[in-house]
Amino acid sequence: MFEIEDLRVSVEDKEIVRGLNLTLRGGEIHAIMGPNGTGKSTLASALMGHPAYEVTGGRVTLDGEDVLEMAVDERARKGMFLAMQYPAEVPGVSNANFIRTALNARLGEGNEVPVIKFHRELQAQMKRLNIDPVFAERYLNEGFSGGEKKRNEILQMVMLKPRVVILDEIDSGLDIDALKIVAEAVNSMRSPEVTFLIITHYQRLLQYIVPDHVHVMMQGRIVRSGGRELAERLEAEGYDWLKHELGIEDETVGAQA
Amino acid sequence: MAEQTGTIVSVTAADLAKRNGEPGWLRDARNAAWNAFQSLPAPRLEKTDLRDRSWDLGPYPSTPGPASDEVAELVAKLAGQPLVYVRDGFTVALHLPETWVEQGVVLLDLTTAAREHSAVVQAHLGTVVKEDESKWAALNTALWNGGLFLYVPRGVEMDQPVHFVYEETGQAAGGAPRALVVADENSRVSYVEVHFTGQAADKVHAGVTEVIAKAGAKVTASVVTQYRKGPNHLSVRRASVGNDATVDWVFSDIGDGFSVVLLESDLVGQGSQSTIQGIGIGTGRQHLDLTASVLHHGRYSTSDIRLHGVIKQRANAVYRSSTHIFKNAVGAGSEQHDRMLMLDKRARADAIPMLLIDENDVQRCGHAASVGRMDENQIYYLMSRGIPRVEATKMILWGYLEPTVQRVSSDVIREYLAARIDRELEA
Repeated sequence: MFEIEDLRVSVEDKEIVRGLNLTLRGGEIHAIMGPNGTGKSTLASALMGHPAYEVTGGRVTLDGEDVLEMAVDERARKGMFLAMQYPAEVPGVSNANFIRTALNARLGEGNEVPVIKFHRELQAQMKRLNIDPVFAERYLNEGFSGGEKKRNEILQMVMLKPRVVILDEIDSGLDIDALKIVAEAVNSMRSPEVTFLIITHYQRLLQYIVPDHVHVMMQGRIVRSGGRELAERLEAEGYDWLKHELGIEDETVGAQA
Repeated sequence: MAEQTGTIVSVTAADLAKRNGEPGWLRDARNAAWNAFQSLPAPRLEKTDLRDRSWDLGPYPSTPGPASDEVAELVAKLAGQPLVYVRDGFTVALHLPETWVEQGVVLLDLTTAAREHSAVVQAHLGTVVKEDESKWAALNTALWNGGLFLYVPRGVEMDQPVHFVYEETGQAAGGAPRALVVADENSRVSYVEVHFTGQAADKVHAGVTEVIAKAGAKVTASVVTQYRKGPNHLSVRRASVGNDATVDWVFSDIGDGFSVVLLESDLVGQGSQSTIQGIGIGTGRQHLDLTASVLHHGRYSTSDIRLHGVIKQRANAVYRSSTHIFKNAVGAGSEQHDRMLMLDKRARADAIPMLLIDENDVQRCGHAASVGRMDENQIYYLMSRGIPRVEATKMILWGYLEPTVQRVSSDVIREYLAARIDRELEA
């Protein structure tokens, strides 16, 4: 179980996430929707532990363990994974070497995956994700297009087999075919042990990955939760009806309710 | 003779010439250089003040000291490959496979070559690095002790790298290695020099390497040094590149020493080309003044300089990339990339790009230089996949250095350098 209680996050002394609560149980898919500037990506980065995001209050636990006390790498080794919107480029480090090092770090000393087995698995997953085999030896994200970077994030997800998966706008910059491939990869990972938190602007992705819960974020907190029908209504009608119901004029962080 | 104009030097050119039974022309060359050394001032360079530095060299050991385990292991791995191994000025191993001997390749220590191949050595020695160009070039020319001579005849393509392993043991008091590589027309050779210099304080280590690539020749010259704290390391390595010839330099220094290093290609020939790719890891209180320079004289000559430095602890490094396109070098083109990473708060780095263009009609001449710290976003990204910070940092630094390491053209030396870098990044 992954629990977020009254989480508060600041960036450069400005509070962006303002008391957010969310409980994700194994096997569930949660979607967080909301317009730009409402704190969705900040939430994702803070959960992973990005150094620029300062947690100023609240608790995050994974099976009862305090996530906020853990360093970034420790969170990953406990099974957290964030597919990033803007992953870094690392010249000189090959994709395959990076993923293998990460996988071995997760498996721990003495349990390293044999090199040949790793490469066989990597090539199989790349094929499935329609990634050109040469990308195994390309330098990590260097010169990748936006779509290639996104698919490379998903490749890492399927190779590392995390149990808390956060997808931060994985759908942006993907055409419909790529979107289907990504959705298929996510769906194939569904199991009672794995939890997904999908952050997106659009309902489009949620046609292929069906969420159990949909949450709307405004002004740094969750303002409405529901089932997939909530996503459908937002897609059809936009956010204005919800803002009207809640008495919110400007949904972005920093605006006063 | 040992004490003039305030300069103390513990060996003399005359002693050397006599000890080695050198031909008259070489004795004369040493004497002329000695005079140049005495009359040249100890300069104050842009970033390095040499005025109050010691210029003492020697006395030279009368027998070679014991090899270090590290060098012994390396030399053992080079068994069967072309090799000149000099320790404390003495040639302790020399090997050239029969197949190259048959094709006319000459690989000798420079002293023997000066006796046995006097004419060809005389015709080339000191033509690329002139004795009066700097005080340390003069010192080396006067007092060089231990060196290599390689001659590759016209059209011969050596597919085995030629190694020059130069070692100074604890008994060395500075040193002056000298290498001369002559690649005749349309020949092809990879030359690799690896230096293990001593740590005697208040001495000079003055090294000179001359590479001559005649028309159509293709030479890769890899230089692996560890200029450590102790002597003042002053070195010049220069290639003269003929018509349609290519010289590619690969340079690596890992050290904490006081060093002035010049790597230069003189593109004299039409259509000549050169690349200089260098990496450095500076530690301790290193002072490194590194210049990678290309002189474009030939028409349509092209060059590319890439330097990557990692500066740790309290090291202070200057990486200068310099391209000079002379008048009449029509159609010349050049690129420079100079990147330095400072890992610690007190590390200092200077990247200095220099571009001098005297000819109007040139191709693209680009340069990019940057000095900075490690990118926290890269570290975060690797950590977010479970890789611990220390390992993530090491991977990123390796990624930064590896493209240059890969270009070292000897498998044994490349693996040695990779292991050496690994050790340094663990520290």
